[in-house]
Amino acid sequence: METHSYFPVPPGVGMEENFLSLDDILLSHERLPSRTECTFPRLGFLEKSSDSRDIQEGTKMEMPLFLAKGLYERKRRVVSVELPKVYKEGWRTVFNADPTVVDLHKMGPYYYGLGSQLLHFDSPENPEIAQAVLQTFIGRFRRTMDSSQNAYNEDTSALVERLDYLERALFRAGQSGLNSFQNWERGRASTITASSLVLNYRKRKITDLQP
Amino acid sequence: MDPSEVEFLAEKEVVKIIPNFSLDKIYLIGGDLGPFNPGLPVDVPVWLALNLKQRQKCRIVPPEWMDVEKLEEIRELERKEDTFTPVPSPYYMELTKLLLNHASDNIPKADEIRTLVKDIWDTRIAKLRLSADSFISQQEAHAKLDNLTLMEINTTRSFLLDTLNCMYKLRSNLQPGASGGKAQDHH
Amino acid sequence: MFCEKAIEIIRELHRMGDGQLPAFNEDGIRQVLEEMKALYEQNQSDVNEAKSEGKSELIPTIKFRHCCLLRNQRCIAAYLYDRLLRIRTLRWEYGSVLPTNIRFHMCAEELEWFNQYKKSLATFMRSLGGEEGLDITQDMKPPKSLYIEVRCLKDHGEFEIDDGTIILLKKNSQHFLPRWKCEQLIRQGVLEHIMS
Repeated sequence: METHSYFPVPPGVGMEENFLSLDDILLSHERLPSRTECTFPRLGFLEKSSDSRDIQEGTKMEMPLFLAKGLYERKRRVVSVELPKVYKEGWRTVFNADPTVVDLHKMGPYYYGLGSQLLHFDSPENPEIAQAVLQTFIGRFRRTMDSSQNAYNEDTSALVERLDYLERALFRAGQSGLNSFQNWERGRASTITASSLVLNYRKRKITDLQP
Repeated sequence: MDPSEVEFLAEKEVVKIIPNFSLDKIYLIGGDLGPFNPGLPVDVPVWLALNLKQRQKCRIVPPEWMDVEKLEEIRELERKEDTFTPVPSPYYMELTKLLLNHASDNIPKADEIRTLVKDIWDTRIAKLRLSADSFISQQEAHAKLDNLTLMEINTTRSFLLDTLNCMYKLRSNLQPGASGGKAQDHH
Repeated sequence: MFCEKAIEIIRELHRMGDGQLPAFNEDGIRQVLEEMKALYEQNQSDVNEAKSEGKSELIPTIKFRHCCLLRNQRCIAAYLYDRLLRIRTLRWEYGSVLPTNIRFHMCAEELEWFNQYKKSLATFMRSLGGEEGLDITQDMKPPKSLYIEVRCLKDHGEFEIDDGTIILLKKNSQHFLPRWKCEQLIRQGVLEHIMS
């Protein structure tokens, strides 16, 4: 297996974000169904549907997680956040019955990350959400592991399609362990290879030339 | 670790060779080698044995365990037991590959040995996966890795560690600092 | 909504998951900085107004803008930092001389940083292993032999080996060369390592 020396800043996974992680920045841009609990004067232009000067109290908007987190206060209600439907009781029951049938990429794709982040908003359902997220991870682990360990150089795109981003990263870690072992078995481990970075640059250059 | 690094460590294991040349003892930082006398068995590290073998300077004596009958026994035991049984060498997989690839003419029934070792490996890896699964599903906090070899651990290390790390984080969600540890009582 | 440009440059970088370095998005960065300046100035004037006229209803808006300001700051820091990680990788994958098309993707400060990194690494390597120093970018995998068989994948011109002999690296020609002389060229895709 190709050795890489580019290791991006990893995501924080739980309730803590990693400040410099690109994954976490994208995660915290996910939009949450929210409602303003006070008026935001002079920001009306952000709401395309209204021509009011202010964002009125009680406006429903899809607010990015980072903003909802930043505005949320326990004491003073500035903004309230509704649970996205995958974390509501109905879906929690579905996940509980059989977590492996769910297409977490479609439902997520940051199912675990967003689920953990939602705990910042003191919902009475927080314990259930935390439990559901953990149990889903555990329930799907076997599948993630088996697919990453058994896919002997097969096309893995169908397997990966239904995985959440976190599971995809685990899948890749499993695959690279397996691939490097298989390369060794075939006697290729000590071959010096061209850097995949270099090869990819070259591929890009060729496609760039094509109109 | 890359498997080639694991193999590199395996090359420090000692193996018996029968040289066909003579040379006085040589003194190296890693230990003394020789003396070498034609026809007299002598212990050397695997890297040297393979180098001499490639230049047709010696015959390699396969390790005692590299034997069809012994390996069959090990295979049966490995299949019978639920836990990992002790392996004959901490580098059994690497040594089998190195010696069979470079000195198969010195090893009786080389092909059978290759198959047997592969069978043992496959059985153990299947067990490793099974135990990883129950480790996760039962949310255990620690596991014993007795009798596992470096190469075996290495194939699944990053996957398993990353998984455990994620699970740890998702479990910490159950007891967020401020709102108290009430969540633990559920289920 | 605010911060749209900032997330755009993050996405652009994230899309190249294998560590390639996209062209430095100078225009994107400039637009984010302009938005930050505007947010800051609007907040500044609203803060003054809130103070002098006691308009506390402005506070949620001020906070709103402040969140977006910090968000933009975070995106820019992460963008620049992730690019540095990629640029550092280039030193290990390509060696100390970068192809021009990659240099074109870097801004002046990044080129400067690359040169500094190159120097620090060289100083460190000179300090190792006695007078000769030690090239730690070589032998990334345990070497099996001192010489290896290689095939040329493209014309590379003349090449001098240890003993001063000059050989011609011509496409499809095959050579038996000291490993440490070829490793970088193999990484760069000029030579191919042939296993017997």
